[in-house]
Amino acid sequence: MEAPPVTVMPVTGGTINMMEYLLQGSVLDQGLESLLHRLRGLCDNLEPETFKDHELVYFLKGQQGSPFILRARRSLSHPNAPWHVRYLGQPELGDKSRHALVRNCVDVSASHSLPEFLNEMGFRMDHEFVTSGRIFRKGAMKIVVGSVSRMLVPGNTENVEQISLSSLIELSILAPAGQDTVSEDMRSFAEQLRPLIHLDKVDPAKQRH
Amino acid sequence: MQQREEKQLEASVESLTSRVSLVQNALQSFINKLENEYERLAWPSVLDNFALLSGQLNSINKLLKNEKTPSFRSQVIIPLLLSPDRDEDLAKLTEMRVPVFSHEIVPDYLRTKPDPEVEEQEKQLSAEAARIGPEVAQKQIQALNKMCSSLLEKLNNPREERDSDSTARQNKQSFNPADTNLLVSAIAFGKGLSKCRPPCPVPPGHSGQGPMMSGGPTLQQVTIGGKMPSSIKTNIKSASASMHPYNR
Repeated sequence: MEAPPVTVMPVTGGTINMMEYLLQGSVLDQGLESLLHRLRGLCDNLEPETFKDHELVYFLKGQQGSPFILRARRSLSHPNAPWHVRYLGQPELGDKSRHALVRNCVDVSASHSLPEFLNEMGFRMDHEFVTSGRIFRKGAMKIVVGSVSRMLVPGNTENVEQISLSSLIELSILAPAGQDTVSEDMRSFAEQLRPLIHLDKVDPAKQRH
Repeated sequence: MQQREEKQLEASVESLTSRVSLVQNALQSFINKLENEYERLAWPSVLDNFALLSGQLNSINKLLKNEKTPSFRSQVIIPLLLSPDRDEDLAKLTEMRVPVFSHEIVPDYLRTKPDPEVEEQEKQLSAEAARIGPEVAQKQIQALNKMCSSLLEKLNNPREERDSDSTARQNKQSFNPADTNLLVSAIAFGKGLSKCRPPCPVPPGHSGQGPMMSGGPTLQQVTIGGKMPSSIKTNIKSASASMHPYNR
């Protein structure tokens, strides 16, 4: 659920040193309305954009080590919009002084032949999911509230099933490397959403097994 | 003895007037604020004004209940002189509210009985009360008591309900940390998601299998390599063994 399939930050002249600062949390369905209400009050856009995206995660397996992962996304609500490829680096938790998880992030728009292209390159799709929800903005911050659904039939985005009774919330900022001050803003924004939700650095590696 | 009482009365009347004038001033300034500064009047300052007034009224109450204060009720005021002419001193004393001490207004100001209309109503009520039998009256008293107590209960209960409501809201979790982990791991590496579609040959949940597979043959080669020297050795041995006869 990183971003809608639009180029958030075009790669120009090798500007790939953008980092994504990220805080994650979840809200149960019964708390969703009050959260949306509060976000409407806190954020710049009164009526959030809605999105429904299909994300395909491609692995390129080398001889050893972990595979190289690319995430391809397309909007289901705007079929004509370009696809979106995203590379995410290893997340760094950092110490207590940094309030957000940081990871390298490269976003590129792509044409609709992206899956074929990736397949030709040797990438293989590992998993896919559908995510839908709303996007709020406050300054440079992006707040995505959405549900994640597994696809019951591979490739069929109509036949989906929500994997949890909670919606995922991601609060993120794209910033050049080393600008840890943005994490302060994120922390204070996250504080305003308490005790409704708790946004924190979630290390996915800890949940792997 | 009488002189002391008189002095006491005078002193208490003086302190009473000073306190009443304090209330008057506070009321005036409050009304003034309400009328002229209502646009920037903050609620806390309104509350402050109320607190001031209630404090001053309280102190008047205390003064009246004080043992040293003689009972004003037992004092009698008799109008000695009535005149239809304007009395400047009186007007000044009453802030222009009572300019004349005449026959017209004295009965109003020195009245100790209720207003005539009130008196009339009271008469009606007592007549009605006399008409009802004591049993009926008892029943009505009970009904009224019941109503009052249930009303009191209702007034007190909402506070409890409200309190319990807010604590319940605080206790009721609107998020579940386990769900956060589930969702994060789902989008991070597809945990719990249907993995793989037909064109993808790798079975689900084995991201590390690719390298293992490619490692497989190398391992085999190593074992073959390990065996080879031994066979060579035996070859050498057998060779040496076969050579021995020649040497012998």
